[in-house]
This record gives sequence, structure tokens and C-alpha cells, in this order.
Amino acid sequence: MIGVFLDESADDVREWAEGISFPVLLDRDHLLADLYAVSNVPTVVWIDTDGSIARPNSAEVGTDMFKDFTGVTPDEHMQQVRDWVREGVLPDDADYEVDDLSADEIDARLAFRLATHSRRAGNEARASHWFAAAGELAPMDFTIRRAAMPLQGVDPFGEAFFELFGAWREAGSPYHGVPRG
Amino acid sequence: MPGLNVLTVDAVSEIDAEVVAGRVLTSVAGVSASLGWDLKPEGLCRGDVCVPVRDDAGIVDGDHVDLGGVAELLGMASLLDEEAAVLAISAPAADRRAALKGRVAPDFTLPDLDGNLHSLEEFKDRKRLLIAFASW
Repeated sequence: MIGVFLDESADDVREWAEGISFPVLLDRDHLLADLYAVSNVPTVVWIDTDGSIARPNSAEVGTDMFKDFTGVTPDEHMQQVRDWVREGVLPDDADYEVDDLSADEIDARLAFRLATHSRRAGNEARASHWFAAAGELAPMDFTIRRAAMPLQGVDPFGEAFFELFGAWREAGSPYHGVPRG
Repeated sequence: MPGLNVLTVDAVSEIDAEVVAGRVLTSVAGVSASLGWDLKPEGLCRGDVCVPVRDDAGIVDGDHVDLGGVAELLGMASLLDEEAAVLAISAPAADRRAALKGRVAPDFTLPDLDGNLHSLEEFKDRKRLLIAFASW
């Protein structure tokens, strides 16, 4: 297992990574949101010994807190993983083809990058401008909308998140990956 | 020419460039320094690979090279913050398509919490579960 946190600093991640024995990496520029079209977390990708993707992006979770949001228990997923690792058995949805990013979603990621760059340089006004632009380009993308919340002093587990979640559900729960029932 | 910061997936670099009508114009050296690709007579080259550049691609104007145009030829999108003099450039679309359509996991290099770099390739020949997560 390789954990990659789409977070701004190691300090944000340390508490979550406590007790984890597998590698935990920091992706502050959201490379995986681009390269693997990750649009929300958690997203799990199964990669085979030859570097091929055995099962693409899916919204599996490791904690019960997310069970209500995705409808999959962590135990089911871990059993599926065990079957794959031990016997090479893949679930039915493994051959799902993930939709590519749209031009707006790509631009949103670029705008987000400009936002974090500005923020790191201490230019809050410019950062605000770019966070807003990114959010307009990809309003249903959590790696854009929700990730921006703590970077703008907004609680990502508060009202703003619940509003986003509601809008997302209403939009049909769009996600770049295996759809959840 | 004044300095402009270029943000790619790998690095942040500062190059000499001018912004004219929304286009970032730099030198051949600026292209190499920011993108790691060299503009040669045979095309845009990196290592053994050369991408041909058509005369009418419109990316070269005398001594000046349109950096956004070069990025586009390489399948990378770009976005300019003219006020802050920063150009952000995406990963090549081909790498993402290799993942999504070709089902080939693109390699990447990122730091661990102690700042040590690791790549996906480091764990090759093993089944891997790549888990994207966040504190949010």
C-alpha cells in the first residue's frame, strides 16, 4: 500500500498517518489529481506487478465514517483486495474505464496550482482569486472545492462541506472512477 | 526580459520571459530550463525522443518561443497569472490517457513526511494499492 495525501504540508498529514506502517507521501501540488484524474478522496487504484492498473479509481474507504457516503463497508473492500492479492481474482467492476478530465477540470487544476503558489508566497488576494476561479471551473471536484477550504480558513467538515456535498449529490454524484451504487 | 516563474508537475523554475498579448515568449534556453525539452532543428527533443515541430505551428517568432505553444505540442495545458508573472503547466495528457485508457500506471515521484523522495517505480514487481487521501 502507498498512501498519498493531497495536502499542503506534512503537519496536516502527520496525525492521520500515525500508526501507518506503509509509505505515506505528500502531494501538495495535487499531481495525482492530474495524472490519475483523482477528483475526490479516498480514491484507491490497484496496480499489478507489471505496472498495469488492475482496478482503476474507486472511492473505497478505510474508516467507517465514510461508509454512509459511499455505501461500501471497509470490510468488503479489504476482502476484495485479499482475493486479488492471494488469488488474482478481480471484482466485476475492475475493467471500468475512468472518464478523462474535461478541459475545464484540467484548467481548474492549473488554477488551483496558481492559488497554492500565491498562498505560499504570502499573496492571499491572488490566492483567493485563483481558488475562486478553480472552483468555478470544476464545482463538483472535491480536490478543488474541498481541498481549498482549509487553505482559506474554512472548516472542510463544516457547513461549506455539507453544502458542497448536497450539490454534488443533486448533480448525480459525479466521480472519476468506478461508480458506487 | 524580466523573470517569470514556471510551475510544472516536477519543479518550479524562473526564466527570462516577456508576456505579449497573453502569450509567454522566452528563449530556447528558457524552454529547456522550464520544461526540460530542447528546441532543435529536428524538433522538440528530450533524451532519445524528438517531437517534430511544423513551421506553421506558430511557436517560434525570431528569437522568441511561445512557451504555452510548446507545452501544448507536448500535450500539456497551461494557465498564466500575468499579474504575478507565473505560468502553471499540467502533466502531459498522454500520461493520463495511458492510465485511464491504456491502464498503465504512470510513475510519479513525491516526498514522504520526512522530505525523502519516493517513486511508484520503487515498488515495482509487487501488487500495489495506491490510496489517494487527504486531511480534508
